[in-house]
Amino acid sequence: MAVSAAGSARSRFSQMLRSLFSRRAWTDLGYAIVSFPLALVGCVFTTVTCSHPVLLFVSTPAVRGLGTVNRRVAAQLLDEHVAAPAPMRIAPHVHVRTPESARLANLIISAGGLVKLRFGRLEVTRLPAPRIAELAASENIPLTELKTNKQWLESAARDRAGWRARGYLVLKLPVSVVGLATVGLFWLGGLAGLTAPIWQWPQHHDHSFGQLALGVLLVPVGAALLLAAPRVTNAAISLDRALIRGLLGPASLAERVRDLEQTRAHAVDDSAARLRSIERDLHDGAQAQLVGLAMKLGLAKEKLGAGAENAVAGVDLDRAAELVDAAHRSAIEAITELRVLAKGIHPPVLDNGLADALRTLAARSAVPVELLIDITDRPSAAIETIAYFCAAELLTNVAKHSGARHASLEAVHVPGLLRIRVSDDGQGAASPDAGGGLRGLADRIRTVDGRMELSSPRGGPTVVTVELPSHA
Amino acid sequence: MRIVIAEDSAVVRAGLVEIITDRGHEVVAAVGDADDLLVAVDQHKPDVAVIDVRMPPSHTDEGLRAAIEIRREHPGLGILVFSQYIETRYVADLLGMRSAGGAAGVGYLLKDRVANVGEFVDALSRVAAGGTALDPEVVNDLLQATRHGDAVSSLTSREHDVLALMAEGRSNSGIAARLVVSERAVEKHISNIFSKLGLLTSDADHRRVLAVLTYLRS
Repeated sequence: MAVSAAGSARSRFSQMLRSLFSRRAWTDLGYAIVSFPLALVGCVFTTVTCSHPVLLFVSTPAVRGLGTVNRRVAAQLLDEHVAAPAPMRIAPHVHVRTPESARLANLIISAGGLVKLRFGRLEVTRLPAPRIAELAASENIPLTELKTNKQWLESAARDRAGWRARGYLVLKLPVSVVGLATVGLFWLGGLAGLTAPIWQWPQHHDHSFGQLALGVLLVPVGAALLLAAPRVTNAAISLDRALIRGLLGPASLAERVRDLEQTRAHAVDDSAARLRSIERDLHDGAQAQLVGLAMKLGLAKEKLGAGAENAVAGVDLDRAAELVDAAHRSAIEAITELRVLAKGIHPPVLDNGLADALRTLAARSAVPVELLIDITDRPSAAIETIAYFCAAELLTNVAKHSGARHASLEAVHVPGLLRIRVSDDGQGAASPDAGGGLRGLADRIRTVDGRMELSSPRGGPTVVTVELPSHA
Repeated sequence: MRIVIAEDSAVVRAGLVEIITDRGHEVVAAVGDADDLLVAVDQHKPDVAVIDVRMPPSHTDEGLRAAIEIRREHPGLGILVFSQYIETRYVADLLGMRSAGGAAGVGYLLKDRVANVGEFVDALSRVAAGGTALDPEVVNDLLQATRHGDAVSSLTSREHDVLALMAEGRSNSGIAARLVVSERAVEKHISNIFSKLGLLTSDADHRRVLAVLTYLRS
């Protein structure tokens, strides 16, 4: 028993002795020493830049940079590899200048945007430029300026990774002071103790013995300190490691998810607004031009037909009439095609709200549709569009495949949730794989975290329920 | 004939003015939005108003709402509405105007048809004469969406064509010319259709249209 205890004490001792000369001990030591100036710089920079709002915002990239330096040093010396946080996202905002600021601001706010009046112009966030142009056009408000800017200051102020880096830089100072104190006490103290007999060596005979005895006595103390130094340093540094992992790495998963949800909602709304403005542009631009062209060609065609009797020699009027006629027909075909195209991009019937659009759909269905619509507050434009295309596709399926005699369309909007349900008394056995349409719908619904449920036993009835969030 | 035009696109407006004046009618006002339209109608008391459905400010159904207001204020005025899309809601509103509003004509065309000079002028004169002019596309929609699919499918294909042309608002002679048959043949088809669908025959064109449309939409 006593032998084994002595043996284990010896092995413990040799282990400690070895760890004193390990790479780990020296890198830890190096880190503890380097940490202090780094922490001092970081903490001073952070405190100074926190003293004024503008400095605070502007300093975000620098603070993130200091975070990166600390992360790299930790990776190099401590083998502490922490992934970098996501880069700063700079949300755009739109500068709008108009003589009718107040009216436009009201419109923008009611469309879900945020408005600030600054230097005589409106700064709009959460609403893309095309949508603002559309709102202005709808009320005949002239715009003298419409420009998308990077929303630099606000983005910097809201940058979570920046704030976490600031937290790290401030907390690092006391932690690194502890580290430095450890180095001073254990490493330097240990060395001093170990070498005490040398610098305590008596130079004068008069007070020689006491000094020498003190020097010799200090040797085991120094040895003990030095042997303990690697472990204690490591322990002091582990606090820094924890801070690095917690504050300099990527945001927590939940934060990341929230972030992604926000950006996706933005993207979905933005694309809905863009599609609407494309449809409007087609209508006002290309389509109007084509109608004008077709009218002129139509008139020309008639003139050519009427002018056949007073033909000019050398002019093949018949051929000219044929060509104009062909051109006229092409122009009309182009108008028809453009109409179908534009309608697929954004059904204009949605402009008056989902409820109206669904009523029109139902009225148009070949199978009688019983309607139950309860939509008081309008969902966002993107959601309305998806809901409309879902209902259209489902009703088309009923008419095409189910053999049903009756169908019902239910659309209920409770806060946060829009539910569309189409049921029919047809033969059932519908499967999402059979019709490409259903699969496409399901994909589209998923882009906004909605869901689709299909119940279609053989022999019917078929019930398809689509649930969408009110806002993407 | 004195005509007011309401259309926000300058190109299309110019085209309409050109076509209408070419036919020897007078365009007394050509305006770009619904408010100006109402003022112009009050001021000029035209025979027919030609109105685009989608106009500023909101580009949704300003034209249609103006049309309904005009019908209320000036019941004798013919109204020809046109739009880029057929929406059955508009059709219902317009036909509602038709049945409530006495003799004046009503038309609803797609822009495709307006671009086709002959068809547009034809529709315009029908509306001016107090008749109905519905776009073939509208009629097609109504035929497809009708709850009486069984009865309609019992018609021969010729009878089906005649039914569609009737619903567009064409007279017997118009239908005969279109199908290149005699008027007597058309009359025979029509009486077959009415008996198959169980409708009461009526001589006046517009009342006949109404009967057919009411049947299709019921």
